[in-house]
Amino acid sequence: MAIRVNDLPRALTRSRRSTLFSFAAVAAVALVLLLVPRAVQSPYLLHVMILFFLAVSMGESWNVIGGYTGQYSLGHAAYFGTGAYTTLMLLQYRHIAPWWGAWAAVGAALVVALVIGSICFRLRGPYFTLASIAVAEIIRLIALNWKPVTNGAEGILLMDIPPLKIGGMLVTDWLSKAPFYYIGLVLALVTLLVNYLVGRSKLGYCFQAIREDQDAAHSLGINPAFYKNVALAISAVFTALTGAFYGLYIGFIDPHTVLGIDLSVEMVLICIIGGIGTNLGPVVGALVLVPLSEALRANLLARLLFSAGLLDETSRAGAFLKENLAHAHVLIYGILVVLVILFMPDGVLGFAKKLLARRSPGRVPSPSPGAVLGGPDANP
Amino acid sequence: MIVFLQSVLSGVLIGGVYALVGIGLTIIFGVMRVINFAHGELVMIGMYLTWIIFTGLAIDPFVSILISIPAMFAVGALIQKTLINRVLGALPENQILLTVGLGLVLSNLVMLFFTSDYRILTTSYSSSTLRLAGLSVSTPLAISFAITSAITALLYWFLLKTDTGQGIRATAQDRDAAQLMGINVKRMSLLAFGIGAALAGTAGALISPTYYIFPQVGGVFTLKAFVIVVLGGMGSVLGATLGGVIIGVTESLAAVYISAGMKELFVYVLFLIVLLFRPAGLLGRSRV
Amino acid sequence: MQILEIRHLFKFFGGLAANADVSFSVEKGMIMGLIGPNGSGKTTLFNCITGYYPPSKGEVVFKGQRLHGLQPDRVCKLGMARTWQKVRPLAKLNVLDNVMVGALARTNSLKVARQAAMEQLELVRMAHRAAMLAGGLSIGERNKLEVSRGLATRPELLLLDEVMGGLNPAESDEIIQLILEIKARGFTQIVIEHDMKAIMRISDRIVCLNTGEKLAEGSPQEIVHNPDVITAYLGDAQVA
Repeated sequence: MAIRVNDLPRALTRSRRSTLFSFAAVAAVALVLLLVPRAVQSPYLLHVMILFFLAVSMGESWNVIGGYTGQYSLGHAAYFGTGAYTTLMLLQYRHIAPWWGAWAAVGAALVVALVIGSICFRLRGPYFTLASIAVAEIIRLIALNWKPVTNGAEGILLMDIPPLKIGGMLVTDWLSKAPFYYIGLVLALVTLLVNYLVGRSKLGYCFQAIREDQDAAHSLGINPAFYKNVALAISAVFTALTGAFYGLYIGFIDPHTVLGIDLSVEMVLICIIGGIGTNLGPVVGALVLVPLSEALRANLLARLLFSAGLLDETSRAGAFLKENLAHAHVLIYGILVVLVILFMPDGVLGFAKKLLARRSPGRVPSPSPGAVLGGPDANP
Repeated sequence: MIVFLQSVLSGVLIGGVYALVGIGLTIIFGVMRVINFAHGELVMIGMYLTWIIFTGLAIDPFVSILISIPAMFAVGALIQKTLINRVLGALPENQILLTVGLGLVLSNLVMLFFTSDYRILTTSYSSSTLRLAGLSVSTPLAISFAITSAITALLYWFLLKTDTGQGIRATAQDRDAAQLMGINVKRMSLLAFGIGAALAGTAGALISPTYYIFPQVGGVFTLKAFVIVVLGGMGSVLGATLGGVIIGVTESLAAVYISAGMKELFVYVLFLIVLLFRPAGLLGRSRV
Repeated sequence: MQILEIRHLFKFFGGLAANADVSFSVEKGMIMGLIGPNGSGKTTLFNCITGYYPPSKGEVVFKGQRLHGLQPDRVCKLGMARTWQKVRPLAKLNVLDNVMVGALARTNSLKVARQAAMEQLELVRMAHRAAMLAGGLSIGERNKLEVSRGLATRPELLLLDEVMGGLNPAESDEIIQLILEIKARGFTQIVIEHDMKAIMRISDRIVCLNTGEKLAEGSPQEIVHNPDVITAYLGDAQVA
């Protein structure tokens, strides 16, 4: 190494040690997760874990363009849906196995990303966000109206998945959760790794420079259009793979579920709850969101209120809550977005970091007196 | 030819209502530089409000705006005071997410209480038509256009001739300068969001006799409002009026000549074209 | 040897000429001062030179190559760097990473870029701030960060836009020393500055703009005695 570690300021080496630590932690967690299906028999628990992996993959994929590059796409369902539709249509109508179909899905998503990028990246900030919504809506409307190809609003119901041969192993039992569990785990780890690698490469520096100040980045030799498109391409590829995985696992897709704006919002939500622009943010976001929406689905909240004696199950309000709270997870998502933006705009991770910093002020370099004139908060 | 004129006419009529939605969004943007992604949900609330008043109190939808305008103004002012006001200095992305979240809350709250069933508000004149110079016009659309025109005229008068209206315009032009000149910028923001919400709610009331009413109907209006506002130039009231009519006519022609299912697609395509080639809008000066 | 030549450059915004028929050339290794009252078109000229605006008429020739239509990133790769009058730190990156972004214009290796960035930070005496978020720096430090970030792109020509704006005399002095040190290392610089004393001290030659046009060009001595410049600057220069 050209620069000796002790040449670097102490805070820098410290951050290096902490990444090493989190790397080891992720590896340990991954190892434990690999063993889960052997120990756990409950299909429901595996199902929740698969949903968790899906959420992590979605969030990590969005994080590349939204978190690192600062381009708040609210149309990422376009790639998710493209991936799901391509894979399932090829499987259903052409009998092409999904592990080949997924490559086609990647290709299709790249084409969509290239088209969207060339249109939307001429615009900045909120205009980009608006354009990304519009393009995703166009794609959803095409899927809805192009009935001969997409089967319109009825969607595609998957019949069955051919056996898959990995090494000496033959996977035939696609009705059980275990194969999806492992695929989901790998997908989540790969997207996490992609974020880590982006952060440790020239790409990551260019992406973040564009996020912080596009004009300044431009003057430092960074071509914003090129790097934004690269970021979008990476993000789109993994979003499409996640979409393909979703379609195969659930076995049914329609324009509303895989191309709707709710899904796009959910991807952003996963990131913002955890902390935008951090590698582990989407994991934290998924840890909050997935159990929460599952708890709602199982009506845990209403049951909790009943058992605590706060509410009578037979009263009108009780019956109302019992009947409706189970379907209210999008409502809770909305409330969460509002609360997070108002009270912890840096997400759970950012909030925790701030708490830690407050407790031990010595750990963070104290700002210079000039910071009062315009810190990062004063001049966004 | 008759078909063409017919669809242009009904496009203009529905465009008037769209213009109301767009004007509301553009005033909010002008004064606060916040893009309200929950704007369509305000239209949706207006529709439900009208439906409740109609089914509960048997008050005609077009009369009920006398109740819904002040009610929606209050809703808007409340949203501004409790939510929007807190993120005025935040990153634009966070402002977007906040209003997106607000939209989700509103539509899902309504779904919680009214279920996602489609509601129809049937009046005695819902399906009657007027003959006008050889063309037939749906009666509710014609009435709503008349009311829209009156409200728009009133709004122009308010913005141009009253002190408060000029205060709003000054704030929209340059918030800091307005503040220095002694204009109560906070009050203007409150007014702007209140007026924006009231206009959206009124639009909801006016279309409720001719539209399906359901919790997710807002999303379409949010996007349409953006199209209108971008078309007319962000912050321009005159532009939004024009933009509304253009969108109304485009939709109506696309529905007749191409396919009713694809009419929204054309609105979005038009939106992208305008964003790309006239980002400052059709009337606006180009901004660096 | 000429490194930069500006030939009859015009820039219109609507009907307004922000630059009108500006011509001058910059010799390799020199410091060219660029002065003029507020709104005289100095920053617009920088934006035209560095590729942010295409000139409406006329041309910019850098190292014998016409720059017309080249984007800022290409201009940077050709060997030109700039700072911004309103500083633009990458606020949520730390200081070292900020400078590394500049260094990455010349390398794909983070290791090489990190070392180059540390060297640049040492040059501007900001190494102790390496781990701090750029958004938390003082004004003076932000200006130095801009300079070192520009230098990290390994330019031959450095354009400094009011890097002494808002600084106290001690800080200004430090920047002046820095500019002279950069010159000693063989870089060419164009410096926009309001502080007349400072610009007289450092410039080899000065161009004065007024209402978009070139009012005068010459050595600091010639400029300071030029009646047109004195008229344009009356008040402004005297106070400074």
